[in-house]
Amino acid sequence: MTTEVKKKKFIKEGTFGIYTGFFMLGSLIVAGLIIPRVSKYKPNDLASMPLAPPSRANWFGTDVLGRDVFVRVFDAVFIDLGTAIIGVSIPLVVGTVIGTLLGISQNKRVNSLVGSIIDGINAFPFLVFVIAMIAFIGPGVGSIVLAISLVNWARYARIARTRAVVVNQQGYVEAARTLGFSKKRILFKHIIPNVSSETRAYALSDFIIVIIAVAALSFLGLGIKPPQAEWGGMIRDGKDLLTVGFWWPTVFPGIALCWAGIAVAFISEGLTRRMREVGTR
Amino acid sequence: MSESQKTAASQDVKMEVEKNRNRAALRRTFLGRVIRSVVVAFWVMVIAFSLIRLSPGDPVRMALGADVTEEAVEEFRTQLGLDKGVLTQFWDYFSGILRGDLGYSYFSGRDVTEIVGTHLPVTLMIIGLSIGFAAIISIPLALYVAMSKSNTVNYLFRALTSISLAVPGFFLALMGLLVFGVYFNIAPAAGYEGAFPANLKYLWLPALANCGSLVPVLARVLHSSIVDTLDEEFVETGVIRGVRKGKFYWSYLLRPSLAPTVVLLSYMVGVMIGGTVIMETIFSLPGIGRELITAVDGRDYPVVQSIAMIFGLIVVFFSFVGDLTGYLLDRRVTLS
Repeated sequence: MTTEVKKKKFIKEGTFGIYTGFFMLGSLIVAGLIIPRVSKYKPNDLASMPLAPPSRANWFGTDVLGRDVFVRVFDAVFIDLGTAIIGVSIPLVVGTVIGTLLGISQNKRVNSLVGSIIDGINAFPFLVFVIAMIAFIGPGVGSIVLAISLVNWARYARIARTRAVVVNQQGYVEAARTLGFSKKRILFKHIIPNVSSETRAYALSDFIIVIIAVAALSFLGLGIKPPQAEWGGMIRDGKDLLTVGFWWPTVFPGIALCWAGIAVAFISEGLTRRMREVGTR
Repeated sequence: MSESQKTAASQDVKMEVEKNRNRAALRRTFLGRVIRSVVVAFWVMVIAFSLIRLSPGDPVRMALGADVTEEAVEEFRTQLGLDKGVLTQFWDYFSGILRGDLGYSYFSGRDVTEIVGTHLPVTLMIIGLSIGFAAIISIPLALYVAMSKSNTVNYLFRALTSISLAVPGFFLALMGLLVFGVYFNIAPAAGYEGAFPANLKYLWLPALANCGSLVPVLARVLHSSIVDTLDEEFVETGVIRGVRKGKFYWSYLLRPSLAPTVVLLSYMVGVMIGGTVIMETIFSLPGIGRELITAVDGRDYPVVQSIAMIFGLIVVFFSFVGDLTGYLLDRRVTLS
């Protein structure tokens, strides 16, 4: 009976957030797949008069070049989400592996050397470091991903290292060692999966930071190049018109960006809740 | 010193010994932190120095563009010091920093130290103001939610902090501009005055928009540590003794919960700096962040390197101060 009650609460905890988040993210992706294909406007073609307000023909109005904002907002879904996903995945993998190796290595000198390099990288403000790197490697999608990866792996490595030290002393790792499993097997089957549960949880909240950073870089004119529709770039194009009454070229891409961020924030929050619940049971 | 500490010390001489031991521990912690910070600061300089090596191909040619003469390329290379060996370059750079010489902007010819000196105060002020706003908003919010027994309040708190975490600062700033600048007409869209009280007129909206990313994090950490504090026995004692409301909130609830928040705040300085760069660009404020963007656009390498390094050093400094303050605020750890 008591387990029944607990189970019911467990299902409630966090589930609403996870479902809402997945629904928001899913609807954005579906809209990004369908709308640019079925719409009569192309993202980079003249749709109507420049700066036409939202109407039945152009739901979100048109921008300063007369392009349809509605199509452009949804055309940007994949470049924004895609860049952010790659920008999170590479540092996640690299950082987890390097951090884990550091955590279990016995070599004190390598450990403290790489450890202080990691601290040095982490000391730089994320956005500032990425901007500075782009000064040297030039703007563009590839540069953004490269710069974000070069900066961000250190954050994952720090988390992974701390966790790996703990995991390495756990009973199941000791047991695997006693059973004479190969080092490779212990590392990949026993240590990394347990370390990465922590880094993957961080990746979800990091995704919000990265998707905002990608848009912010384009907003500053350092990221994805026009005429590719991209939320940050669209906000940049519209920002000077905002104060003279043309709000739609800025507000709609901004809402899309927030929508994506909030979706992931809800999923992340829900999963954290759920994990905590599992932990306390 | 807290009440409990005072009574404990008077109760027993053994506590004196304990205290001395604590002092030694404090000194050790302090020294350890100093050494760590210096090492990290050194690596910050090395990393900023090696940024130029990231550029694919020849950074000099990339900066100058396609149609320049060989002589101009060589001259620029000498000017940047790139014709010497790596170690010599690093030594020049490193000893320059120690002397307070950060090199010259290639394009404007200005002394980088001077650029930093004139523009850094504006940036620091925006950050300070953002932290102030964030504290004013998050402390009452966290207290209210932690004291509230209502599930709805807690739920709303979690949902709203999640949402505001995901709203980008630059979008928030533009919406703020639309509401306060255009609709209510109480905030200037651009411009700046140098003197202290006058410049607040230009700084409050950027700072408010900038604290949008700080408030949810701060409020959450403060909330959870107040919830932890509420479980402590001394809180119950305070309630039973009928301590005055103000004293109760401060000494019994906030003060013991502050340590994690202060440490977090020092880590958030980096995030604040990133946000400030964007705010300065949006509101055309003469801070160091706008200088950074201008330098990046113009491929002004010495300026980009130095500004990145200065920001790195600022973060190192604040983590050091934050760690130490957190340690001093929460001495219970060493007493028990």
